[in-house]
Amino acid sequence: MLNRSQTWLKSNGLYTLFLILLIMLPHIIGWLTGSSPFGTPRGTRMIMSGSSAYWMSILIDLFSVGILVMSYNLMFGFTGVVSFGHALFFGLGGYVGAMVMQQSGLPTDIAFIIGVIAALGVCAVMGIAIGFASLRLKGVYFAIFTLAVSEIGYIFFSRWSVTGGEDGFNLSNVPTWLDASQSRLNLYYLAMVLFALTFVFIRRLVNSPTGAVFKAIRENEARAQAIGFDTLRFKLLSITVAGVLAGVAGLLQALMEKKIGPEMLSVGHTVDALLMTIIGGVGTFTGPILGATGLTLADVLFRNATFTIGDTVVDVGQSWLLILGFIFVAVVLIFPYGIVGTWTLVWNRIRRK
Amino acid sequence: MIKGLLTQRRESVMTTVILFVILIAFTLFASNFDIGTFGVTLLSGLLKAMLLFLVGAGLALIFGLMDILNFAQGGTFMLGAYITYDLVHPNLGALSFLDGIPDPGLRFTVALIFGTAAGGILGYILERGLLRPLYKRPLFQLVLTFGVSIILLELVKLVWGPTPYAWTQRLALQDAQFVLFGQPFSVYRLFVIGMGLVMMVGVIALLRFTRIGIIIRAGVQDPEMVAALGINVRAVFTLVFTLGCALAAFGGGVAVPFLGATLSMGSTFLLASIAVIVLGGLGSFEGTAVGSFVVGIGWASMEQFSARPEIGTVWASLAPMLLLALILLIRPKGLFGEDR
Repeated sequence: MLNRSQTWLKSNGLYTLFLILLIMLPHIIGWLTGSSPFGTPRGTRMIMSGSSAYWMSILIDLFSVGILVMSYNLMFGFTGVVSFGHALFFGLGGYVGAMVMQQSGLPTDIAFIIGVIAALGVCAVMGIAIGFASLRLKGVYFAIFTLAVSEIGYIFFSRWSVTGGEDGFNLSNVPTWLDASQSRLNLYYLAMVLFALTFVFIRRLVNSPTGAVFKAIRENEARAQAIGFDTLRFKLLSITVAGVLAGVAGLLQALMEKKIGPEMLSVGHTVDALLMTIIGGVGTFTGPILGATGLTLADVLFRNATFTIGDTVVDVGQSWLLILGFIFVAVVLIFPYGIVGTWTLVWNRIRRK
Repeated sequence: MIKGLLTQRRESVMTTVILFVILIAFTLFASNFDIGTFGVTLLSGLLKAMLLFLVGAGLALIFGLMDILNFAQGGTFMLGAYITYDLVHPNLGALSFLDGIPDPGLRFTVALIFGTAAGGILGYILERGLLRPLYKRPLFQLVLTFGVSIILLELVKLVWGPTPYAWTQRLALQDAQFVLFGQPFSVYRLFVIGMGLVMMVGVIALLRFTRIGIIIRAGVQDPEMVAALGINVRAVFTLVFTLGCALAAFGGGVAVPFLGATLSMGSTFLLASIAVIVLGGLGSFEGTAVGSFVVGIGWASMEQFSARPEIGTVWASLAPMLLLALILLIRPKGLFGEDR
């Protein structure tokens, strides 16, 4: 018994430590900077201000992006299916959830629950529908199809008057205990728990027999089929799960920003997901998290930075996506296994000697 | 075997004919059975078809030969448009070395050459520098061209800003108009249709009658076999990539006088021309030629149809994507494609 708990600690100890750190982080930042993570009371309401609240908003964003990237990695890294439309699920989750919460006219709490269920349901149905339509074909068709569908989604939501067109709409009808502008700490913990659960879930799934089939499809689909697996069903499962998780990420983002706009469906989120997966390490568990953390923090740090080359002043915030694009190409060419993959390669080589 | 191929071919031709009949009927319906509107819709459909062909030809050749879907093709189209625009318009943005030429028509011709060359150079760099190391990892090639398309978009946005540009340097050809069934139509558009047809015939002639064309067609069938015969397939890859990107940039250049330069034109034409090559059958070049007519006319009639107040213009901008999704759903192997 002791032995088993020892091995558990050995393989999961670092993650547990990290989780404890994340639990304490808002309080630590609050203590260091002298700002309360609970916000400052003003009248009967709490106002979220100060460093702790600011960093919590960034971390919630990070958790949301982390879930998105992990879900993308499940599809791209473990099943070997390239999608160029992951932003669709992200945006759909946010839009459907927020629309039900804001526009159904139900009591706040009920609207919230129904909104969450509806958002995830729509993402699941969408995943199955897209998968059925295009997964039977070669991988390239799936990439094209997802790109087309997400582009349709983007144009549709930026023109639809019900969702405020280009401007989007504000999400204000959220339960008070989860309101980002009143009790952000609760939202932080919710996001953190969802993030941790996604990590555990994906690890479980990939290490299960189902996950073994996923990896078999990635390595050689024809062979997996020849062994007798219905590869279509497994790919369908993979993209549906990934779609629902991306929907969760979108919902979290919507709850944090309290504003929904068509940019949620823009190709930028797909690029983020792809890039963070590749930088961190395709087909690894911690890679996507590292990629998401690194790029999100870099975005926060350099958002307002400028630097000069010769006479031209380059505004990093404005050209962020361009910089990401260059990093993207460089990583694909030079560093294809990402941080974690390369680290594992190097580590194994050292150990073998 | 031969007989099977023949029936397959007859089936393809029959489907194409039926498709065109349906399209013409829909175009008639969309233009309210008014013969003048019908003519103009058909002409603008042909115009779109030519632009789609210019983008799609490169896509199809590259895909047929190397199994890479070049997602940067739309970006190349956009780059060609922006460069041509900037070179023709004085006092604007980054490129001004042609501003000394007084005649806009001549300036446009030279600018078009520069734009096309820029596309070709881009294609050369893309294939030589970026894709060549990745031939062992096809998944990453797809991802890489997608990344390059993002870079192109952001680069253009950085240099020329996010606001769209409308063409202001009127060309003589644009001002000249002819009347078709009582409707005016700019001669320039006819010129573009003519240019597109010339390019189409040119590429087909290149593929049919030259040695390099024979090598390319053989490469589409079986690149390893071609390499085994002692031909440098890699050099052919580079050539086709350069040519494909140059064609797309040329398309952007000739399109910019009436489309204007916008950031969204790349992705719109990319998706529409992917629809073209999927409809034609991935890798089949004649399929691309036929497909560009189908998608072009379909798109134009959809635009005409959604001009009605009860329909709404959303459908016009959605048309290429919806068409693509529809084709993938109904006949993914395309009109002239083999089963995959």
